[in-house]
Amino acid sequence: MDEAAGAYRILVVDDEPDLEPLVLQRMRRSIRSGQYQFVFAQNGVEALQKLGQDADIDMVLSDINMPQMDGLSLLERIPDVAPDTRSVIISAYGDMKNIRAAMNRGAFDFVTKPLDFDDLRVTIERTLNNLAAWRQAESSRMRLVAIENELDIASKMQQSILPTEFPESPLYEICGNMTPAREVGGDFFDIFNLENGHIGLAIADVSGKGVPAALFMMASRTLLKGTAIGLYDPAKVLTEVNQLLYEDNEAMMFVTLLYAVYDPASRVLTYANGGHTLPVLIHADGTHTVLPSTNGIALGVMDGADFEQASVTCSPGDTVVFYTDGVTEAFNDKSEEFGMDRLLEIFDSPMDNCRTTIESIFDTVTEFAGDAPQFDDITCLALRCIEGS
Amino acid sequence: MPIESRRDNGTLIIQTEERVDSANAQAFYQELDSAIESEDRAVVMDMERLAYISSAGLRVILQTARKLQQQNAKFAICSLSGTVREVFEISGFDRVIDIHSSQADAIAAVSG
Repeated sequence: MDEAAGAYRILVVDDEPDLEPLVLQRMRRSIRSGQYQFVFAQNGVEALQKLGQDADIDMVLSDINMPQMDGLSLLERIPDVAPDTRSVIISAYGDMKNIRAAMNRGAFDFVTKPLDFDDLRVTIERTLNNLAAWRQAESSRMRLVAIENELDIASKMQQSILPTEFPESPLYEICGNMTPAREVGGDFFDIFNLENGHIGLAIADVSGKGVPAALFMMASRTLLKGTAIGLYDPAKVLTEVNQLLYEDNEAMMFVTLLYAVYDPASRVLTYANGGHTLPVLIHADGTHTVLPSTNGIALGVMDGADFEQASVTCSPGDTVVFYTDGVTEAFNDKSEEFGMDRLLEIFDSPMDNCRTTIESIFDTVTEFAGDAPQFDDITCLALRCIEGS
Repeated sequence: MPIESRRDNGTLIIQTEERVDSANAQAFYQELDSAIESEDRAVVMDMERLAYISSAGLRVILQTARKLQQQNAKFAICSLSGTVREVFEISGFDRVIDIHSSQADAIAAVSG
């Protein structure tokens, strides 16, 4: 179905009868405004029937455990019946085995039980944005349009995977931003909730450009999120994601990725690095230090690469800034590089919140670069530690 | 500036240009592709002139390394400036690419 033609149709598949009234109630605004329409099925068999009859279904939201045909079997059958749809699965929290299995069978994303409708809304929106970008890519491929158009599509895909909302907590603040290069680069960042109130933070830079790089970026993000929820340790997560990316990477694409887990109660940040620039820890008084290196290679190129992790305990008022090399390698019209010194200088003046830190970085880089076109995306993510309990 | 290459005692020696970024990475790859023959068994890339390499450039080096591995050729790079060496170290690619300080060391590593 064409985006302009009206509402997106979402098929919800679950054997629990309570879900239908709940979805209709909680999503009533989006339904009333004509944004979404929902149809329901009780199991995989019924879902396939609906998909076969109704070619306008854009997205499937399915439970895993159901009678007759479960969600995983359904995922395997969807491409035959309705190739032009995206699937999101509903799983028990931390049910890594099924989440992995679902991702391997082509699920775009997952949400966990009990359903958090704010999270579900964001997930649906991301999924449908991604689907829209994908459909545009497909139709362009058929029409063999110019490369600029392909870059535009890749840029939309990149935008569709960036978080649009930041978690709010009395214990920490998180803020991030990305300015795309004139020609699309491959930066992304992600933030997700882990067990016990811990937070996963990632920043990454994919090599290459265009649709293949955008697809590699999507794979990296999905694999990271899926793996992070089951394996806690950042080093183990990177080891696993590297292997999954390596196994299907003839084009030698790679992603530099720094992944960290923050425990707000103890204020301990544990991180592992896959060939990315190291974060900077800024103390409340403006003193700062680059976090120590943990050996690690960019993901996707080395079979069986292993990763190490390190931890740092933050104090209240500390800010950790993650960034991509688009920041330090921004150029001005005299071909001078922004560099590490200028970045660190920004942190000399104390800042009260994360948003100010991010804004100062972007303002300073933008002012430095002037009108010079930038060849790389500029991306920053900041975490500010408030009080621990 | 395009790359320059010569053969010395069966080793292909390639001098890289000054800058490899996303704007010229594809051209760099094609130049390397035409410089390297399928009979080559020893290749050294001298990066003395290279002042800047972006991730797109690193990918070309990796693709070249993969291609040479597939044709059973030995491959080493040498004479990296401080900043370029740093790029290889941060990305961790010093673990998969053989790096030497001088061209003579690199040639010795790939021949024999």
